[in-house]
Amino acid sequence: MKKIIATLVIALCVVGSAMAQDELSFERKQAIDSLALEKVRDLSKYIKIVGTKDTPFSEANRVIDRAEELFMSDAEIGVSSLGSNQITYYRVRKYMEHLMRLNYDRVEIEWYNIEYVSDLQRQPDGTYVGVITIFQSFRGYDKEGNLAYKDTTKKDITVYVKRKETQIGGRTIGFWDVLLGDMRVKETTNR
Amino acid sequence: MMVLLAVFITLGGTTSCKSKKRLAREAAEAEYKSKVEQAVKDLNAILDDETLWSLEEKEARVQTIKDWNLQNAEVDDLLFQVEKKLARERAQKEEEERNKQEVQAANVTLEQNFNSIARAGSVMQANRIIDETLSAFESPNVPVLIIIKQNAGFNDYDRPTTIEKYLNYVKDQKKATEKVHDVKYNANGKINELELIKK
Repeated sequence: MKKIIATLVIALCVVGSAMAQDELSFERKQAIDSLALEKVRDLSKYIKIVGTKDTPFSEANRVIDRAEELFMSDAEIGVSSLGSNQITYYRVRKYMEHLMRLNYDRVEIEWYNIEYVSDLQRQPDGTYVGVITIFQSFRGYDKEGNLAYKDTTKKDITVYVKRKETQIGGRTIGFWDVLLGDMRVKETTNR
Repeated sequence: MMVLLAVFITLGGTTSCKSKKRLAREAAEAEYKSKVEQAVKDLNAILDDETLWSLEEKEARVQTIKDWNLQNAEVDDLLFQVEKKLARERAQKEEEERNKQEVQAANVTLEQNFNSIARAGSVMQANRIIDETLSAFESPNVPVLIIIKQNAGFNDYDRPTTIEKYLNYVKDQKKATEKVHDVKYNANGKINELELIKK
């Protein structure tokens, strides 16, 4: 009987220890929360650079490459407009190229209220998944400098954070890989 | 009788004086012997790296032994060897100090360049500083690791990038939120690995 109890205690300790290793400390979880938010803020800057008409073509292309690296390979970005109920989804590069070619003389894009609507939660495969919402204010101006179009779109971005390893200088480096998933349009207003 | 007494006193005094001199000589010889033994012991310990003394403490010890002026062949031979060893250690330490200062200066320059890129007034100006900064690296593909959190001696990193991508990132985002944590150099003095940490 004593042997059975001892075995059970050991087994519980092993399971408990394994579960504890899976659980991140509050500080580490906070660090990856911030990292994922930072990636979304980085994306907002890339969108702004690509949307700005006086960005040199070579710079815009380089920035598109960087923006693509933020996303999962099959991620899509939703585009809406006040004149239509339809939401069109583009692959990241297509979305960025579309943004570069917008028929306005000047474009202003601002993202604000970037925050989690669904905190990063650990999935059975170890990936942390969460949803970050953003508000995008878009202003398009014509040649005369008049405001030709404006809207504000609320978008939800799914974020995936996974622990990965790589070899650098003969060392194994464990890192957190943050990848953005689909960016879905939730609401478009004329504000 | 008085004469006899005077002779005794004189002889006794002389004997006592001779005895004191002998004692003093014996004490001096014992002290000399002890110093030689101590010197040989200390110098051998320094030669065999068996002391926990710092270089400065070892140098001070050697100076003390030299000041004793023991004029002993064994001690002189050991002093010669130890002084040569300490000279090598001193040169090595000075070079390490110089390298450390150079690395610190290089780190400061790197961080200053990151800030200059972030605050550049134009893309052209930022690109010029990027090119200047890249010249300190082995190649534009030198890996850059960014520590996002340090916890009990354990580092959490962001996805590794390259120096060229990182410098362009600083330019695009107009922010330099990392400081230099560690730099590795190749034989030509070019940086071949850079580790940054979030401020």
